[in-house]
Amino acid sequence: MKKDKIRMISIIIVSWFVIVTGTLFSLESFMKGNFVGGFIGALIAVIILAFAIFVYKRGNKDLKEGYPLRDERSNKVMQKAMSMAFLVSIYVLLVIGWFSESLIKFRDVSQATGLAIGIMALLFFAFWVYYNKKGLK
Amino acid sequence: MKTKIKELRARYNLTQEDLAKKVGVRRETIVFLEKGKYNPSLQLAHNISKVLKVKIEEVFIFS
Repeated sequence: MKKDKIRMISIIIVSWFVIVTGTLFSLESFMKGNFVGGFIGALIAVIILAFAIFVYKRGNKDLKEGYPLRDERSNKVMQKAMSMAFLVSIYVLLVIGWFSESLIKFRDVSQATGLAIGIMALLFFAFWVYYNKKGLK
Repeated sequence: MKTKIKELRARYNLTQEDLAKKVGVRRETIVFLEKGKYNPSLQLAHNISKVLKVKIEEVFIFS
C-alpha cells in the first residue's frame, strides 16, 4: 500500500514535469512563429494531462477498494510493451535516419531526439493498449 | 491453458473481486485467467488453488 502511494505520487510528479515542459516548448515555439512545433507541444501536454487525470482517478479508486495498483500481469504487460517499443523504435529510427537527408529535414539534433522520444512513447502506449486487450500467455 | 476458476468460485460464492482481493491481484487479472488469456506465475497459481481449496492441477489444465 505504501509502495502504491509512492508510485502514485511519482506518476503525478513525472506527469507534471512533462506537462510543464510541453507547455513551455509550445509557448516558445509559438513566440518564434513555429506553429507546427507549438501545436505538437500543446497536444502532448493535453494528452499527458488527460492520461495523468485518468491514471490518478483510477489508481485512487483501486487503492480505496483494496486492489494493488500493479500486479504480476500488469507488470508483465508493461515489460512486454517496453521491450517491443524499444525494438520497433530502432527500426523506425533507422528508416528516419535513411530519409533524414532527403525527405525529413531536421532543424537540429534536439528536434531529431525529440521525435525519437515521441515515437518511442507512442509505440509504448500502443503496445501497452494492445497487450492489455489481447492478454499475455 | 484452461482454468476451472469460474466453477470453483461459484462453489464458494466468490466474486471475481473477492478472489482478486484474497490473492492480491487486480480484478482484470482474474478476468484474463478465466478467459485463458494469461498464464499465471507458480506463486499466483498456488495462491489461487489455496483460496479455492483444491490442487493446482485441478484449477489449471494444460492441454
